[in-house]
Amino acid sequence: MFRNNGGGFVVAEFAIALPLLILLMYGLATVSVQIFSLGKEQLADYVLEAEAQYVMEQIRQVARTAREVEISPSGGKVKFVYHVVADKKSNKIEATSVNGHYVFINNDVLETQYFMLYTKKGRTAPNLYAKRNDDGNYSTPITGDNYFGDTKVNYLKCNVDADKKLLHVSLEMESLVTERKIKLDTAVYMPNYKAGG
Amino acid sequence: MSQIKSVLSNERGFMLLNVVFLTVITSFAAMILMNAAPRARNHQSTLRLTAIYLATEQFAELESLAAREDISGNQPFLGNKDDLTSNNLGADNPIEFEVTTTVSGGRAKVKVTWQVGEDEFKIDLERTIGSVQE
Repeated sequence: MFRNNGGGFVVAEFAIALPLLILLMYGLATVSVQIFSLGKEQLADYVLEAEAQYVMEQIRQVARTAREVEISPSGGKVKFVYHVVADKKSNKIEATSVNGHYVFINNDVLETQYFMLYTKKGRTAPNLYAKRNDDGNYSTPITGDNYFGDTKVNYLKCNVDADKKLLHVSLEMESLVTERKIKLDTAVYMPNYKAGG
Repeated sequence: MSQIKSVLSNERGFMLLNVVFLTVITSFAAMILMNAAPRARNHQSTLRLTAIYLATEQFAELESLAAREDISGNQPFLGNKDDLTSNNLGADNPIEFEVTTTVSGGRAKVKVTWQVGEDEFKIDLERTIGSVQE
């Protein structure tokens, strides 16, 4: 019935082209969703890797100069203490500015603590915090709290071998997005370490 | 110009346009699909990072040993032996690392090797040890 006019041709065109277009659009949509999810996973992996490396590097740098290391029995807190020479003003620890004048901490001990804060529900998503005794602000954790690549610290284990003056560090972190884990182990030689403080 | 108009104004022109549009759309879709295919995550950076920290562990052990006694020649891995196995590629695919160390003249060379499938990877690191004094 459509053979003698152009209408039949248009219907045939639509009958062929429309399913093709729908298939193409469906394929494109699927691929786009896959690309987005792959990108999100990869970003989460890189965030996990970068955060784990950052924590390890910080601990490695701080522990190198440590004179004392205090580790809480639960393993959730590590404190590195090292002494600075306070005889020079330039070596004193700058604490805060009061009316334009700098106030210095009188003692010669500098402490750096790494610890986890636990929620009331337990270890839901522990993030690692860092605090120095000349800077009491620890409101922002050094790991976690990322929208696209949130992470949690499964454990941070530190063991001191007093005879060898070695600190063994073992860190396991997990991505809350991909649920992949990364575990890094290393050791730090602490030449200034004094057993018993 | 008038020839193009006349071609496009009849059914053959319409078909021609259809073929052109469909080809463009299909090529576009194929391009995206082909780009999406090799988007697998390269895990070598994670393994390299693990290897670097293993080498650092060995350096720390060597520094500690060098502070107590003179060392030279080939040294075994002095750190925790459990650290040589890593599950960073996934728990069902453990990677074994091998650490070889040579100390000569106060310098330590540490080579860490590992294998993923049939591919072998390595990193070489070097550090001065034995000069750390309290």
